[in-house]
Amino acid sequence: MEEQVQDPAQEAKRLQCCINDLVGVLALPAIWRGNEPSQIVQILLDVLLRMLDLEFAYARLNDAFDAMPVEILRVADYRKIDLPPQELRNILGDSLAADAQSSLQIRNRLGVEEISIFLVPLGLQAEIGVIVLGSNRVGFPEKADSLLLSVAANQASIGLQEARLLSEQKRIAAELEQRVAERTRALDQINAELRKEIAERKLAEQKLRQEERELKRSEVYKAAILDSSPDCIIAIDHEGHITEYNPAAELTFGYRRNDVLGKPLANVVIPPSLREKHRTGFARYLATGESKLLDRRIEMTALRADGSEFPVELTITRIPQDGAVAFTGHIRDITERKRSEDALRVAHAQAVRSEERWRSVFESSAVGVALADLNGRFIATNSIFQRMLGYTEQELQELTFIDITQEEDRNHNEALIRELLGGQRQQFQIEKQYRRKDGTFVWVRNNVSIVPGTEREPRYLMALSEDITQRKLSEEALAKARLELAKVASITSLGVLTASIAHEVNQPLSGIITNASTCLRMLSADPPNIDGARETVRRMIRDGNRASDVITRLRTLYSRKEPTLESMDLNEAAREVTALSLTEIQRNAVTLRQEFADDLPPALGDRIQLQQVILNLLRNAADAMSTIDDRPRELLVRTERDGGNQVRLSVKDSGVGFTTQTADKIFEAFYTTKTDGMGIGLSISRSIIEAHQGRLWATRNDGPGSTFSFSIPCWHEGLANAEIRVNRADPSMDAPHNDAA
Amino acid sequence: MPHSSAMQSSRDGSQDKNQLLSVVVDDDESVRESLPDLLREFGFAARAFSSAKEFLLSGCVDETRCLILDIAMPGMTGPELQQELKRRGKEIPIIFITGRRDETIRVQVLKQGAAGFLLKPFSDVALLAAIKTALRAN
Repeated sequence: MEEQVQDPAQEAKRLQCCINDLVGVLALPAIWRGNEPSQIVQILLDVLLRMLDLEFAYARLNDAFDAMPVEILRVADYRKIDLPPQELRNILGDSLAADAQSSLQIRNRLGVEEISIFLVPLGLQAEIGVIVLGSNRVGFPEKADSLLLSVAANQASIGLQEARLLSEQKRIAAELEQRVAERTRALDQINAELRKEIAERKLAEQKLRQEERELKRSEVYKAAILDSSPDCIIAIDHEGHITEYNPAAELTFGYRRNDVLGKPLANVVIPPSLREKHRTGFARYLATGESKLLDRRIEMTALRADGSEFPVELTITRIPQDGAVAFTGHIRDITERKRSEDALRVAHAQAVRSEERWRSVFESSAVGVALADLNGRFIATNSIFQRMLGYTEQELQELTFIDITQEEDRNHNEALIRELLGGQRQQFQIEKQYRRKDGTFVWVRNNVSIVPGTEREPRYLMALSEDITQRKLSEEALAKARLELAKVASITSLGVLTASIAHEVNQPLSGIITNASTCLRMLSADPPNIDGARETVRRMIRDGNRASDVITRLRTLYSRKEPTLESMDLNEAAREVTALSLTEIQRNAVTLRQEFADDLPPALGDRIQLQQVILNLLRNAADAMSTIDDRPRELLVRTERDGGNQVRLSVKDSGVGFTTQTADKIFEAFYTTKTDGMGIGLSISRSIIEAHQGRLWATRNDGPGSTFSFSIPCWHEGLANAEIRVNRADPSMDAPHNDAA
Repeated sequence: MPHSSAMQSSRDGSQDKNQLLSVVVDDDESVRESLPDLLREFGFAARAFSSAKEFLLSGCVDETRCLILDIAMPGMTGPELQQELKRRGKEIPIIFITGRRDETIRVQVLKQGAAGFLLKPFSDVALLAAIKTALRAN
């Protein structure tokens, strides 16, 4: 439309204003740089409202991301209205959809007058949005307005595009940042998880390695156990197939490991007769978990590769593992053990029979039997032994044999036991007295030996104990009788000796009488032979003394004194006896030799009794030589030490001797080889010597004749005050069981 | 008979040629000491020996006119010496002396020709009587 030019000055002024406005619009981008689109639009709308003196200015911006459009409304200040943008959009209605840069006249609902509306698109196709301007000026928009608006719209479009781009960049940057942050967080989380996973994996690997090492060690152990086990070890799986087979099994069964691995156990080691039973049992276990064989030691028969069967001991164990069941069998070949058991059974049966026999002998023995340990404590005794002592077996087991042995016998008994235990003796015999439970004594003869120990039984002592009380009483009676006999014999021998003694006395008497006669004759002579008479008187005195000596000896020899054991000089006693017997000896043309030991210790004995023994031996020797004419009649009396604590006297003759047949009899009473003897001399002599704890014996000489010897204990200081057990054969003394009671 | 000479002869061992020699054989020393002195008191020459063997070896057997002989002696006994002398043809009267009363021996020696048998102790008278009897018989 054509505008009519009015006043040129006014026009110039108006143009000047237009240019100013245009410059102002062109400067806008510098103001809104960096702002948000809404801010840009607000600034633009405010500038246009003021520049073009508009009623309102409205803009709608399409969102770049299909969000809701932004609407902004600016109203002229003087209108003093506060209208929300949505309200204006309702007012504008369809006019907003009109083509861009179009103008229309709509009724101004804001006021009374009409208002001109002008739409300015933002962007080529209004893709950015639209600006709606309202002015009550007629002719709005004029050309200058349109130009300004067009420039402003362009400027705004560019600015908005830039703002949009900037915003987009910001958004993208923010989004990117957010994504990066998220990504970073995710990465951190992943890293943390990764580190955790790595740590866990390391741990797991370590554990795995440890387990591997343990497994390896376990394998080595297992292999070592398997290889070195003396028992056969066979493992099977749930199907009964062999999975392990150790060297002992190879050796025992005769299969090689590789030949049997994987094969059914039943076909390899189980005898055909037991296979069905095995299969049934195995199946039952798999089905029910019940087994009578598991974890128990059982004995059964097994099969070797060569088909032979043999006894084994078997223990089946379930292998504790997950999954399918498996078992190990420990199998031991017990052939030898079975054989040993059988042998042992036989031996045991024999031992039982032997024990029964022995027990029978033990119980029915006629003598007492006692077993004691090496300390002497009774272990077992038979009924005879118990009856003999009046104790029960239990009571005896509380005692030692020393406890019940009479005190006087203990030392000797213990010494013998020591020798037995020390091996110096195989056995010994002792006669002693036991004290019975009731306090009385019983004489026993014990044969004691040591029973060798075995692996299980220690050595012990065995005593066979015989009650010899009756025998002892008989012996005592015999000894008494002997002593009576000895008295008779003594008297008899006194009679026999009388002649000899008479001779012994007569000899000096004869001298005295002869000398007296001679003396008288010498004194009666003229002149008297005084010197001769003195000589004869001297001889008379000498012979008188000699006779006196004989009488003294005789009195000593035959005086009845109580037998007493005391310290005595055996040489001296022998010397006296030989002096008394000299005449008798010489009458028989016997040469007497005496060899008395100079260092002979004192003996313990009864002097008179021992002299009787010596006299008896001398007489026997003289008698034994009375018929000997073809060789010298020689008699040797010798004394000497016998061992450490005995003295010995021997009478050796060159007489007829004795034969081995008579050797045992010569000490028996009433046995004699002489025509005029009673045969009691040696018997009595032996009784006397034995009562001295000594020994009398006879030996045949290398040459002719025999030697009779006795040995008796030496006297020693310790005996001085000790109670000496004297001659029990002597009736003048108490019976031994009485004095001990 | 001069006692002194008899004593003399006993002391120094020499003897008077007129005196008869009497011999004592006894193993007992007291007899050997006392008896010769008594015999010399009787007027005999006298010698003493301790054994039969000693007497037989003395060289005075032949001179001996009377033998006083002990019965029991070591070695050869009195009766054995009697036998030996008889075996040698020596007819010496023998008077046996003994301390033991043994009838068997007494009978034995008397049977063998003994001149006397005296039991010790005997008196000087008994001895002298026995010697005289013996010498007379011889």
